[in-house]
Amino acid sequence: MVPENRISNKALTVWKISGLIGCSITWIISIAILVLTIIFDWTYWFFGALIIISIIQAYLTIFLMPSVKWKRWRYEVRNTEIDIQSGIFVIRRTLIPMIRVQHVETKQGPLLRKYDLASVEISTAATMHVIPALDLAEADELRHYISRMASVEEEDV
Amino acid sequence: MSEPKRLHPIAVLLNIIKSIKELVIPFLLVIVIPGKNEGIPGWIQPLVIAIIVLFLIVHAFIQWLRFTYRMEDGEFRIESGVFVRKKRYIKFDRIHSIDISEGIIQRLFRLVKLNIETAGGAQADAVLSAIRKSEAERINTFISEEKNKKTNGLLEKEIDAGAGNEELANSSSVFKQTLPQLFVMAATSGAVGVFLSGGIAFISQFDEIIPFNRIFKDYEDFIGMGTVILTVFAILGLLVVYVLATLSMVIKYASFTVLKTDEELIISRGLLEKRQLTIPIHKIQGIRIMENFVRKPMGLATVYLEYAGGSMEDKESLSIMLFPLIKKKYLHGKIQEILPVYQTSTKMNSLPRRAFSRYVSRGILYIVPIIGVSVWFFKPWGFLSLLLVPLAGFWAYMRYRDAGWSIEGDLLLLSSCFFSKQTLIMQRSRIQSITYKKSWFQNRKELATISASIKSGVTSRVGRVVDVEEEDCLIIKSWYLPKKAADSQ
Repeated sequence: MVPENRISNKALTVWKISGLIGCSITWIISIAILVLTIIFDWTYWFFGALIIISIIQAYLTIFLMPSVKWKRWRYEVRNTEIDIQSGIFVIRRTLIPMIRVQHVETKQGPLLRKYDLASVEISTAATMHVIPALDLAEADELRHYISRMASVEEEDV
Repeated sequence: MSEPKRLHPIAVLLNIIKSIKELVIPFLLVIVIPGKNEGIPGWIQPLVIAIIVLFLIVHAFIQWLRFTYRMEDGEFRIESGVFVRKKRYIKFDRIHSIDISEGIIQRLFRLVKLNIETAGGAQADAVLSAIRKSEAERINTFISEEKNKKTNGLLEKEIDAGAGNEELANSSSVFKQTLPQLFVMAATSGAVGVFLSGGIAFISQFDEIIPFNRIFKDYEDFIGMGTVILTVFAILGLLVVYVLATLSMVIKYASFTVLKTDEELIISRGLLEKRQLTIPIHKIQGIRIMENFVRKPMGLATVYLEYAGGSMEDKESLSIMLFPLIKKKYLHGKIQEILPVYQTSTKMNSLPRRAFSRYVSRGILYIVPIIGVSVWFFKPWGFLSLLLVPLAGFWAYMRYRDAGWSIEGDLLLLSSCFFSKQTLIMQRSRIQSITYKKSWFQNRKELATISASIKSGVTSRVGRVVDVEEEDCLIIKSWYLPKKAADSQ
């Protein structure tokens, strides 16, 4: 059984934008190389390779990966545990029992804020898990819910 | 005992040494760089040094003067600071362990260094760098007395006497490392790795000597001689390094003893610098058994404790040896004696046969770049690197054979091997989270990678097994989940 809930579909837009930002860095480098190539009369091989790399990168980070990632991302918060599925090429399932949760927080970067999203970070004594890009209201609710359920007993650690 | 106390005056010396250590680089800047500058008058340099030294001494003295500690209201209180006054109050409940060690300077004056460790936080640790032994014992018993008063009224009478001897009386020595064992342990430790990698690095030098020979044909004899001498020297040098490394390890772990009291393990070791580590048993998160490739064929293993505590600054408190070296056949008996919770049998569920080919192909993938590079750059000799292929195959087989998992009651055992076989024994209630993942290739074979994290030191220790049966992951998962949830699904 796969976890029930998907993350907000606005996450797709956010990931595409951050992919775009990543690509623009490669493009700037390519342009700089092009200018240098023209000035110093270098071979065009280098520039050509960069162009191919940036096209592949654009396809992967703007189109393919966000949608695969979004399709894969599932989570479910049950009474006693949190179940998370993520991954692009590798499917990853994580289980966190509620009693192990030490604290929960929501976080908003500038990009997430623009789209009214937030990510939820769940920390145990030893590990940290993130559910990215939920609707702000949903994220707040989740944070409250988890922190209410996670009545960490005064156990060691 | 509420009156503030100071450290032993020898702490001034320790403060000076410590600030010298911290100031080594600026010091060198002052001493070395002006040495090359002709423009500055000669007397400036000694003056600057004198001022710095004077400043260090005065600073260390004031530091000592301002450093006081006391115990009141269930807290350990330290006030310190020269320019910035610091007050650090640590609640007794928060104290994880008290660690007593003796450096060379402390031993000269029959003093000890006391480390008070708290959970995780790198900040809250308190160090009393030089106090009398009796004082250290007094602090130790006082704190544990106070802690027990709170947590457990029944235990009070036991510690009423308050003397350090009392504590030792009801403890039993459960593990002692003999000297010959210690030598074996030191000789088969990482020092061997240094030795071997040094040897390999040296042999690879021959590649460069061969074209060298061709260029200077006239000097062939001379270079031939040189090679022999070089070889002898290099081997001798490596031997010396190896022996030194072994000896230093023997000194470090000499008279290794584990004592067990009702609630604590006391591990002491060291010849020149004595260290004593007190670990509350309920802070132990798991046990890690390591068998490196030299010790494994000899049936020897090293056992570590994973425990929640220790501090970032003190690297050694992060990975604590329980048994530096133990015969595998005695291991389970010994563990049962010291930590009965972690009693296990040796049987592990191995990986399915179809995982083997994945181990082999991964092993070969690792060495493809090495072979590629050496064939490309060292034309005739590079093909020798093809010999790595059967080696990689063997290595893959070892890793496949050593990987496994097992569930015994409330314990999860995960074992895997890279260069050393690692077996992690974890209690269910200590596992912080479990993750299993499968790549597209694994999915096709119905295999998955499982990992479980426990807290260790300030971070985590992750046990991971690659390519276990997917169904086994589900078994582990349902074992891990609280029972109610498993039923409702």
